[in-house]
Amino acid sequence: MEILDEIKKGYVTDLMKKNKRPDERGFFDYRPCIVERGIFNSAEGSARVKLGKTQVVAGVKVDIGTPFKDRPEEGVLSTTAELLPLASPTFEPGPPDEGAIEIARIVDRGIRSSNTLDLTTLFIEKDKVWTVFVDIYVLDHDGNLIDASALAAMAALLDAKLPKLEGGQLIRTERIEKLKVGEKVVTCTFSKIDSHIVLDPGLDEEKAMSARLTIATTPEHVCAMQKGGRGAFTKDEVINLVDTSFEKGKELRKLLD
Amino acid sequence: MEKPKLIIDGKRCDGRAFDELRPFKIQAGILNKADGSAYIEWGNNKILAAVYGPRECIPRHDASPYRAVIHCRYLMASFSTLDEHGRSGPNRRSIEVSKVIKEVFENVVMTENFPKTAIDIFIEVLQADGGTRCAGITAAAVALADAGIPMRDLPCAIAAGKIENEVALDFGKLEDNYGDGDMPIAIAPRNNEILLLQMDGMFTKDELKRAIELAFGAFPKINALQAEALRIHYAVKRDEISV
Amino acid sequence: MTKIVVPGELLAGSPQRLEFAFVEDGKTYSSILGLFDEANLRIIPLEGAYVPTQYDLVVGIIDEVKFAGYNVDINSPYKGFLSAKDSRYEYNLGDIISAKVREVDEVKNVNLEGARELRDGEIVEINPAKVPRVIGKKNSMLDTIRAATRSEVFVGKNGRIWIKGGNSVLAARTVLKVEKEAHTTGLTERIEAFLKEELKNNR
Repeated sequence: MEILDEIKKGYVTDLMKKNKRPDERGFFDYRPCIVERGIFNSAEGSARVKLGKTQVVAGVKVDIGTPFKDRPEEGVLSTTAELLPLASPTFEPGPPDEGAIEIARIVDRGIRSSNTLDLTTLFIEKDKVWTVFVDIYVLDHDGNLIDASALAAMAALLDAKLPKLEGGQLIRTERIEKLKVGEKVVTCTFSKIDSHIVLDPGLDEEKAMSARLTIATTPEHVCAMQKGGRGAFTKDEVINLVDTSFEKGKELRKLLD
Repeated sequence: MEKPKLIIDGKRCDGRAFDELRPFKIQAGILNKADGSAYIEWGNNKILAAVYGPRECIPRHDASPYRAVIHCRYLMASFSTLDEHGRSGPNRRSIEVSKVIKEVFENVVMTENFPKTAIDIFIEVLQADGGTRCAGITAAAVALADAGIPMRDLPCAIAAGKIENEVALDFGKLEDNYGDGDMPIAIAPRNNEILLLQMDGMFTKDELKRAIELAFGAFPKINALQAEALRIHYAVKRDEISV
Repeated sequence: MTKIVVPGELLAGSPQRLEFAFVEDGKTYSSILGLFDEANLRIIPLEGAYVPTQYDLVVGIIDEVKFAGYNVDINSPYKGFLSAKDSRYEYNLGDIISAKVREVDEVKNVNLEGARELRDGEIVEINPAKVPRVIGKKNSMLDTIRAATRSEVFVGKNGRIWIKGGNSVLAARTVLKVEKEAHTTGLTERIEAFLKEELKNNR
């Protein structure tokens, strides 16, 4: 398998030298992207994202819980991601590995830093807060799981409604109030292949990349960044990609409308 | 809980200027068994880095026929923070931190010299006071050199952040918890390539630019101290090396 | 004059072919922590695992007995292999041998030949980077130790040293002392004085 990857890597790198991508996209074009909301009614909020052939679903479950000791007036947000073995021959069953953990934490960071889900609005009464679980499941891996996951998570949060709370009991079948979500946070993930940088890497491009940079934005701010891979970026590259992220972020936000 | 005041009379809560580093010192070769080691005290951080390798790769299926595989374990001791007793063992945060640190060294270590082996890096945070992953990387680089492992450079790291609307360098724990943005960066000092970059918080593009510049201003000083720690450990008056 | 260099440190403004150094953009940089001998354009590593090279003489320990030969621990991330065809004797697990590295292939399989059992005696393990100092220029250090202790001393490139007979305890102590002070000045004189003193006091 490693040999096949090497061949694909060579193919992609050669194309890149001719300024081309395997699917003939522009260097900063997203693949066709579809966002669907409310696909599972068992979850308080849900969404499915298809980004090219990559497919990811996210579910929001809400519970009553206790706040963290140092933040007694805030609700709790928890984000996890699972790379299901059915999504790729390279995913093994078992607890989330570093790849899955990283995706979850990047998605969480964007949401948390921007305060788009204001945790203080989740306060019910002393020692009682809403806990919001965002769970991302990767169903089909064809590259750029981060952007697909972040989009799905954001869409699921926008879709989420709180169950009715009556006399201290949760009536899960009745959902009335929408979860209060503010700015739409989106992520843009770039891959470095040789000295070229492309947006939204497909699976084959990910095999050829030396490094990746994910930048999460609200309309006016950068709220999270994560560099991955053993390659490197220059200062100037980072600043330029921040500009590109603001620009492309607008496109992604439209999908969340 | 009331947010503590981070800026008092134009200075930071510990009296530092916005572009001032906390004092730090590094010692190389402080462990006996490990192939290489280093200990760093940075502000109130106390962090130990140790390296074993190149050695047999375990698990075997991890090994590569082309290069050494780098494993990195970043862990915080259960007594390392002022908070309650921490659980021992890796948690999600430490797994992520281990990954991004590993990627720094995958870049500079000449892994192709040692196919089929593993180079194991251990970073133990004994006392934490903000910026542990940066201090850990800075110490691990010294430990790798101490182990005689060939590298293209000696990476170092620092975090820049935002307190209210001011960009500041090298956050301590208080600033980490209550500041408005935190950005750890690691570079290869020879050509300023960015090997680790993470960020949380809210920065405008200009604030981000300023934070990056602040960090780059500190790197030469950190790198110099790493080299110094290695030189001191192997101090030689003059020598009679002959083969 | 030598100076201590660290990974990534500039050695020369022009491209030079040096072991333990690399060239980038026409300049030469050190890849390791070592001593840079500017006059002779040489880097001496101060640390580092033993990486087997062709023709090295090593001291190995039989690690596994297989059908076609033996896996040999050579104090390296890489194991040596001694083919049954190449050994006159049958070895057992734990036997100590001296051998020569016949070849190291591209995937770092290490083939040994010319094995001889090292019976009795003791093994001292030192940092492989310090082996040249224990041997000394034209074997000078080794000769000094042998003469003073009358021990058989076989030094493996892989940092394993076999000592037998004579005042083997003193020989072992001396080897360790050389290792400890390998990169200091006046070592030869100090070792000679040390040996003299120890022998005088019957140690």
